[in-house]
Amino acid sequence: MTAATTAPHPPVERGGPPAALSSARGRALGKLLPLVLFAAVLVPLALIRWPGTAWPDALTVDLSAPLGSASDWIIDNRDSHPLFLYFFGHISNAVVLSVRGVYLLLLAAGWAGVTAAAGLIGWRVAGVRLALTAAVSFAVCGVLGMWVPTMQTLALMVVAVTASVVLGALLGLAAGLSDRLYRALRPVLDTMQVLPAFAYLLPVVLVFGIGVPAAVLATVVYAAPPMARLTALGLREADRGVMEAVSSLGATARQRLLTARLPLARKQLLLGLNQTIMMALSMAVIASVIGAGGLGDRVYQALASVDVGAALAAGLPIVLLAVVLDRTTAAAGSGTGSGPGKRGRLGWAVAAVATVLVAIAGRLTDRLDWPETWTVNIAEPVNRAVDWMTAHLYSGVPVIGGTADWAGRFTTWVLDPLRGGLQALPWWAVLLLVAALALLIGTWQTALTAVLAMAAIGVLGVWKPSLDTLSQVLAAVAVTLVIGFAAGIAAARSSRMEALLRPVLDVFQTLPQFVYLIPVVALFGVGRAPAVAAAVVYALPAVVRITTQGLRQVDPAAIEAARSLGATGGQQLRQVQLPLAGPALRLALNQGVVLVLAVVIIGGLVGGGALGYDVVFGLAQGDLATGLVAGAAIVCLGLMLDRVTQPTQRRTERRTERRTGRTRKAA
Amino acid sequence: MSDAETAAGTAAGTAAGTGAETAAGTAAETARGNDPAGKDLTPPGTESEVSERPPVFAVRDLWKVFGPKADRVPGTPDLAALTAAELRERTGCTAAVRDVSFDVRKGEVFVVMGLSGSGKSTLVRCLTRLIEPTAGAIAIDGEDVLSMDRARLRELRRHRAAMVFQHFGLLPHRSVLDNVAYGLEIQGMGRAQRREKAAEVIGKVGLEGLEDRRPGQLSGGQQQRVGLARALAVDPQVLLFDEPFSALDPLIRRDMQEEVIRLHHEEHRTMVFITHDLSEALRLGDRIALMRDGRVVQLGTPEEIVGRPADAYVRDFVRDVPREQVITVGAAMRRPLAGDADSGPALAPTATVSEAIEALARSGDAAARVVDGGRLLGVVDRERLLNVVAGTAEATGMTGATGPGEPPGAPGARAEAGRAALR
Repeated sequence: MTAATTAPHPPVERGGPPAALSSARGRALGKLLPLVLFAAVLVPLALIRWPGTAWPDALTVDLSAPLGSASDWIIDNRDSHPLFLYFFGHISNAVVLSVRGVYLLLLAAGWAGVTAAAGLIGWRVAGVRLALTAAVSFAVCGVLGMWVPTMQTLALMVVAVTASVVLGALLGLAAGLSDRLYRALRPVLDTMQVLPAFAYLLPVVLVFGIGVPAAVLATVVYAAPPMARLTALGLREADRGVMEAVSSLGATARQRLLTARLPLARKQLLLGLNQTIMMALSMAVIASVIGAGGLGDRVYQALASVDVGAALAAGLPIVLLAVVLDRTTAAAGSGTGSGPGKRGRLGWAVAAVATVLVAIAGRLTDRLDWPETWTVNIAEPVNRAVDWMTAHLYSGVPVIGGTADWAGRFTTWVLDPLRGGLQALPWWAVLLLVAALALLIGTWQTALTAVLAMAAIGVLGVWKPSLDTLSQVLAAVAVTLVIGFAAGIAAARSSRMEALLRPVLDVFQTLPQFVYLIPVVALFGVGRAPAVAAAVVYALPAVVRITTQGLRQVDPAAIEAARSLGATGGQQLRQVQLPLAGPALRLALNQGVVLVLAVVIIGGLVGGGALGYDVVFGLAQGDLATGLVAGAAIVCLGLMLDRVTQPTQRRTERRTERRTGRTRKAA
Repeated sequence: MSDAETAAGTAAGTAAGTGAETAAGTAAETARGNDPAGKDLTPPGTESEVSERPPVFAVRDLWKVFGPKADRVPGTPDLAALTAAELRERTGCTAAVRDVSFDVRKGEVFVVMGLSGSGKSTLVRCLTRLIEPTAGAIAIDGEDVLSMDRARLRELRRHRAAMVFQHFGLLPHRSVLDNVAYGLEIQGMGRAQRREKAAEVIGKVGLEGLEDRRPGQLSGGQQQRVGLARALAVDPQVLLFDEPFSALDPLIRRDMQEEVIRLHHEEHRTMVFITHDLSEALRLGDRIALMRDGRVVQLGTPEEIVGRPADAYVRDFVRDVPREQVITVGAAMRRPLAGDADSGPALAPTATVSEAIEALARSGDAAARVVDGGRLLGVVDRERLLNVVAGTAEATGMTGATGPGEPPGAPGARAEAGRAALR
């Protein structure tokens, strides 16, 4: 804890080095000087008190015993204690009942009814193209033999999204109307959005046990923040001129909200809905490890036995579901906002009647379940292809080597030295490094948070596995940034490149984290390298997009001026575009780190080890204490990484960027 | 508000006092020049009647100070006397409106003019308490606005004063028709009834056929017509305009100004008009209050502002105004001498100097007669006209027009010029 106290000192406005006072280097030195002074005093003290490089045992608090007994107590009292009987029990029952109800309703509608409903909703919202996409997607889910799991996931989604939207909208409404609440809520929501999904699982399991209620509640907690923050943002950003005009006509507070503020926030509200649905899907799939069932469970089971074919058969419906849900809600958001006109209402009525008719027809012809004969088993051919790949591409390919060779080499030459180096660093040096980085890029408050979070990891006694995770994150971020910046620069400089990349990025940005594990297992097998690869693929689209946008938004006048002075393309890029796009690049770094961490943790499912594995292990063995400690460490790591890379000016949209990038383009 | 060299205390009071003598309509008409629609714009009743009508808005000693502990500034003479920069340094406060008093009379177009940051927009928002004033008194039809409770204030905003905004403030998700009907909807009027009323007003502002469009599909000028229609639809006693045409192109701005002139001519509605555009102020205003750093530095008819600027700032402000188009022969004439009665073209006292020049050039006479209802009021000769054009005749109006030649519009008004404040 000693080194932790070095950070909380603001960069003193002292003279600093005289000549180059105003230069960036001078300021950085000025910022770091107090840190250096404190370190010079405290590090020797710490060294005398706790020699050695690993986190000193004297500073650890073993939480496994109290956590274990707490978890035991909860398990013992779940059926008897009034808190569970009259509060959590009711919540749990309500969740189970509603998921069950929606599931039965979907089954009763039959595959024909559901597919028709999807198509008709797509038609009403965005026209024939989306209608076809939606109908075909659902049909493919059936063809893949995944109709029932798809409906299970859908039922869970419907309940979780409804709850998230209601909860998020209420919170957002309150925060949008009250400044104090907004100030209180905003850091909480911001932090919740940078935490990996895995961190949410264990606390829910602790209370509700493994099963559908836990899965739904984890999904709600994970998916509600974007709705809340975008609702609040939309309400707060209402055009002040319009609001003043409405007041000037004598509107009451209620009239102002209902007739002006809410309609003006329509775009943000629908964007919030879109994000909430996408995050809910992401979580609903991950929550298969705590008993969500459905598609995620199939993927999870298949990955556990490294059955890539089965994983793909369950993964494709997830992808299709994600694309359909995203396109539909995004189209609703970018609509002209004509509202329920006479024709609109008629169209919806037609759609509803048609759905009911199709459902009845399906029922009468006794075709409720997807017909067995119409399914195609892709697992086998896929597995055969994977086997072929294993045989031919894994290793021994002339000149370039094989995928397994690459993975092995990456592990040996990058991951191992990185992990070894981090773990060999004295603990106080790690803390100092964190403090210095956070100070350089942010303020002393962010530095303090980052150092405290890192120290908390040590106190929790998971210093080593956390550094393992950290080494994977660092490696993945480095790869992501190299590829991402290169692709981003290329896309910014060539419109053709951007046109090529855009549809790819669009699809990749909508996919849940979980499905990225499937192809990397097929290519690289299990281990740390595939986890890193999945993280890179997951984080790349956001980094590429933010980089491209940042470079494109550079003032054209500045580039024109540089060109008029005879700057070459490279000079323009280095001396004008990159410096001016600095804030965007820093945001790309921040986003890259946050997204990479999320997937590296999930990589525990495919042999990534470290903290993610602890969580999975804790869940699988019923050893909640281990899992909870690992979850807390994940939270701390997420907090630390976010703060260390956080640009000084906090952007209003953060995780939001992942989706707004495209929405903005569509507009 | 950044101007440090405020002529502190410049004639806020005296300027307000000069408003007592008004020639409502006169100047507005002359400023409108050869606009046929604008020829007969004088509200019904003679000018003296206008000046004696009860004020719609009576504003006294109004202050609006932004910043920490703003309340103490108006009450502390030391602080109140400071310039804007000194005040900010001493207290961290900004005084947007300082000690302003004026009356807006029924049926007149009252223009508040000033550069950006002079406090004019804050002032107009204080009238309906969209911005809460710090100190002072506002009365509408004799009723104290500042003591109104919320319901009463809403009633004031719903029925008595409607505002038109610089950036329109239209609801983007509603059609033109529903935007215009919005004020009525808020009052709780039924759908069919309010739409009917809105359609009628839309016709009045020349937007027929665009009822189903959205504001985003309209040009700036059209959007402001919607804003105007929305304000008119609630049939308010007073229309408040906050730089309504500043965001529009010059030609469209001119169209809209004529629209306002026409509406005023047809309905004689009281208007308070905020602008930073001097020519707009001269075109529209019956009276103009010129603001600087939160104070009213001069209040008077366009003719008075141009002809007799209260201080160097106003003089500088109006330097480029073509005086001959604003100043009337009634103000430029001298007392008639024996023998003047017979020669030269006859002009009404409300005719502008430029019209007199044109008449003299045409007839070839040396001087023109200023005649009102067959009575000879005075004479303008070439020298006087040239003095006006050259700007060397600021005092002519005062010296020449006393005695029998005094314009009928301002009986004994100048005697009251010393009635410094209205309180």
